Amino acid sequence: MLLYTLLAGLLFGLYFSLIGLGLNLVFGVMRIVNLAHGDFLMLGAFLAFWLFTLFAVNPISAIPIVFALFAVVGLPLYYLLVPRLLKARDPEMLSFILFFGLSQVIEAITTIAFGTSERSIPGVQLGIVIATVKGLFVGHKVDNGPIEIFGQTFPAAWVASGVVSGLAVLFVYLYLYRTRLGYLTRAVMVNREEAIATGINVHRVSAFAFGIGLGLAAVAGVFAPFMLGSITPAMGVEVTVTSFTVIVIGSLGNPLGTVLGGLVYGISYMFMQSYYSSWANLLPYLLLIAILLVRPSGLLGRQVRRA
Amino acid sequence: MRHVLLILVPVVATFAILPSVYSNHLLLFNFMIFIMLAQGVNVIYGFTGYLPFGYVGFFGAGAYGFSLMVIHLQAPPLLALPVGAGAAVVLGLFLTPLFRLSGAYFSIANLAAALAVLQVVSNPNLESITKGPYGISLSGVFNPTLAYGTALAVLAATLGLVIYLRNSRFGMALQAIREDPISAGMAGINVVRERIIAWLLSALIAGLAGGVFAWYVSVFYPETVFSGEFTIFAIVFALFGGNATVVGPILGVVILYGLYNAVGISTPQYFQLIYGALIMGLVLFLPNGLVSLLRRWGLNVP
Amino acid sequence: MTRYTIFALLVASMTSATAFAQGTGAPAEIKLGTLYASSGRFASISMPVHDGLKLWLEQKNAEGGVFVKAFNKKIPLKLIAYDDQSNNATAATLYNQLITQDKVDILVSDSGSVLTSVAVPIARDHKMLLIDQTGTGANFFTPDNPYIVLMSDPVSSIWPKPLADFITHDGPKLGIKRVAILYSTNDFTGTQANAVRKFIKESNSGVEIVYDEGIPTETSNYTVLLNNIRATNPDAVIELGYAPNDIAFLRNVQDSGIKPKFLFCIYPGLETELLEKNVGGAGLNYVFTYVPSSEIAYQASFGMPLKDYKAAWDKKYVDSKVEFGFNSVAGYTTGLVIESALAAANSLDQLELRKAIFSLSGKLRTLDGTFELDATGAQIGEITPLGQLILDEHEHLKFVTVWPHDVATGKPVYPRP
Repeated sequence: MLLYTLLAGLLFGLYFSLIGLGLNLVFGVMRIVNLAHGDFLMLGAFLAFWLFTLFAVNPISAIPIVFALFAVVGLPLYYLLVPRLLKARDPEMLSFILFFGLSQVIEAITTIAFGTSERSIPGVQLGIVIATVKGLFVGHKVDNGPIEIFGQTFPAAWVASGVVSGLAVLFVYLYLYRTRLGYLTRAVMVNREEAIATGINVHRVSAFAFGIGLGLAAVAGVFAPFMLGSITPAMGVEVTVTSFTVIVIGSLGNPLGTVLGGLVYGISYMFMQSYYSSWANLLPYLLLIAILLVRPSGLLGRQVRRA
Repeated sequence: MRHVLLILVPVVATFAILPSVYSNHLLLFNFMIFIMLAQGVNVIYGFTGYLPFGYVGFFGAGAYGFSLMVIHLQAPPLLALPVGAGAAVVLGLFLTPLFRLSGAYFSIANLAAALAVLQVVSNPNLESITKGPYGISLSGVFNPTLAYGTALAVLAATLGLVIYLRNSRFGMALQAIREDPISAGMAGINVVRERIIAWLLSALIAGLAGGVFAWYVSVFYPETVFSGEFTIFAIVFALFGGNATVVGPILGVVILYGLYNAVGISTPQYFQLIYGALIMGLVLFLPNGLVSLLRRWGLNVP
Repeated sequence: MTRYTIFALLVASMTSATAFAQGTGAPAEIKLGTLYASSGRFASISMPVHDGLKLWLEQKNAEGGVFVKAFNKKIPLKLIAYDDQSNNATAATLYNQLITQDKVDILVSDSGSVLTSVAVPIARDHKMLLIDQTGTGANFFTPDNPYIVLMSDPVSSIWPKPLADFITHDGPKLGIKRVAILYSTNDFTGTQANAVRKFIKESNSGVEIVYDEGIPTETSNYTVLLNNIRATNPDAVIELGYAPNDIAFLRNVQDSGIKPKFLFCIYPGLETELLEKNVGGAGLNYVFTYVPSSEIAYQASFGMPLKDYKAAWDKKYVDSKVEFGFNSVAGYTTGLVIESALAAANSLDQLELRKAIFSLSGKLRTLDGTFELDATGAQIGEITPLGQLILDEHEHLKFVTVWPHDVATGKPVYPRP
């Protein structure tokens, strides 16, 4: 039970990192709070659902499509909303309200279009992919059921989402540390004013980060039908709160710190669920408040952010 | 004093007279509740700049404080009400460390706090104290007429407080802190203390509103009184009307909640859509609310 | 004595006949007020109930109205319905609106305990009888409140009796000795869990509860919990939750490779179509659940039998997004009870209506089973038997009723293959 809970926490924690990753990137670069993050995740989940239902696209194959589409949508959305916002007196606070409005709009439109019922994608779809990949390595056909790790069995979705989350983190790392745009992005993250002074096109850098942030949220959405039971248009708010917990624990504004946040959150959540089941949902809120008060910069943060 | 005559008296008188001509008293009651909550948000956000995204926590604390006094101690409602509101103030005191956080962090932490209180109240392990998820039933003290009258008194007190803030040195000090806390501190204002007083007053308003709401509805579940919609409505009403004014939040409630009851009930999703779009439009084009528009037309808005 | 009675009856019928002839006091319409939720978390249980009630009402109006004994004539019905969007505060306002502004003759609540809860004190305060459709919360029904009566769905505290009876009677013979209970902590499923626990403990059948945990209703992943349950080595696993809980739970059972020998959930029976869409036929195969009235052809002595009702439903709601099921039968049943009560009540006075409804108890048989009330107005007839879902050769799910024995249609399959 102990080992199982621990491993479950690690795997689920990796997925939580993916959930928070995009939000943290957007916050790190623009210092704005995307309260519609969970709703973009929901939209990604619905896109994956429709791709599967209408065209039988496997969720794993849907990932690049979903990512590209949301990243592309993110660019004009950025120019539509953010520059105007950044001119205001208190952009951080106003962004909070602005994106809350956006979240309401997204939820309403999705409800009007698809109704309120739950939807999901059969879990075996991820099992097939894992079995195929594994089959390539071992050279013979493998059963597409649950997967064994250290003698404990987990649903294929947990492993698949864990792997994709790891790859997503690697992708963000490579983008930030191995590309020119990423280099400029880090410059903006460290000091926006200085970046403007040195002639960096801050809006272009930010727009890309915004697009990637939305894309990552949508990719996390692809796994939502498997990891979060089912999907509904109203699921966004709860996901947003979870994402905040994860990135606050890790480190606000440091995308790679999200991984630590996700793991800490995942493991502690699973232990609560195992040993104090009825209190499990209290933990995220207490963790969030405690970390904000004790270490406002998160576990990995360097400088303290204050008023 | 002029504001008392111009705003407080007419508003309270309206709500005192309306029940005799319009018999859906609960609708009138809800209007009063939302004016209280919007003004409560106004006190903390309008005057200090801290957006309480978990404001409903105080409302729920007040409702439960009231109900538990009635259930466990058989307290008469008029005694249970201030004690219930006291629960909200105590919660506010517990949360004062959150002021170390700025802007959005404060809001997120406040939201988490409200959700945490809900998780505790609705936990079945505490059933003997809070009735857990099974909800509260106060049929013994059910008295809508008296509850309505009490709400009227709370409304009057709330408006009185906001008028005071608008016109007093204390209110000025709060706004100075909002504009620039460092200069305000140098000018001799006790930044921390003034902020906390505003915060606790705001919690007190929501606590009283919650208590009187619990009394009036008398049967409810934890989710009813901790519903995030109370926070959202209150914030949007206050923002729409205009913060740091007396009439702004009242205008916001009368127009938007009126619209909600007239239109929203028949086409809810479209209403949510319009609501969301309205919020976005406000932030982008009219961040200071409706009253800023009136001011632009040369009207002096209190 | 007999002669006197006949004389009295004659006089009574003559006076009522003259009243009828003169048409004095008979309203042009009977106003029936209700709420529904087209959005939010209760939309999926509210809309089918509301559509069922509407179907009954329109059918009656097509026949020229319902017979009202108080005026000895058929009077058309007028439906006044508002959308509360699953919001409690809005619902409360609207109940008040129905009573005070629209002055309805009959007050019908929205579906489900949460949206019904706010109506209970309001109705009582205004001395209006609350026709509670499916609000099964046990604390609505108190001896001091005559202004509520529950139409369909047994009250939560006795609803799980067939499940508990099966486990304690047939269970030990099949090899079920250790039971695990996992429930979502809300009024509906929490009360059911309390009832199951109580029934099993009081049975002295040797059946033992080895796992008993409440979890937040928002729980969306059960994999770790399932692993913990497996560690207690149960013979039967009872999961009590709302539809999203059951979906997540059954999907996790399927994906995790954990194979409980006996699996019970509420919603595979109540919302079979929705569950099948999300979990798939294989995931529901051999799952135990409540057999809804939409699956059993009860001998209806009043109103349409199930087959005709389903046909009428399909005809009326051709491309509706609302699925036919347990809840759609509940709404229609509400209509039938109101119809019978109006045909029996001597006036439209609320307590007279209550008396008329109570006079139907134990006698009225509809497609929802036998309508039966206890003294507080809680429904104790119309129980949902325990059944098992079986996937037939056409990949179609069908119900096999296993308890009580007198309505059983087959033998349970245990352990789940």
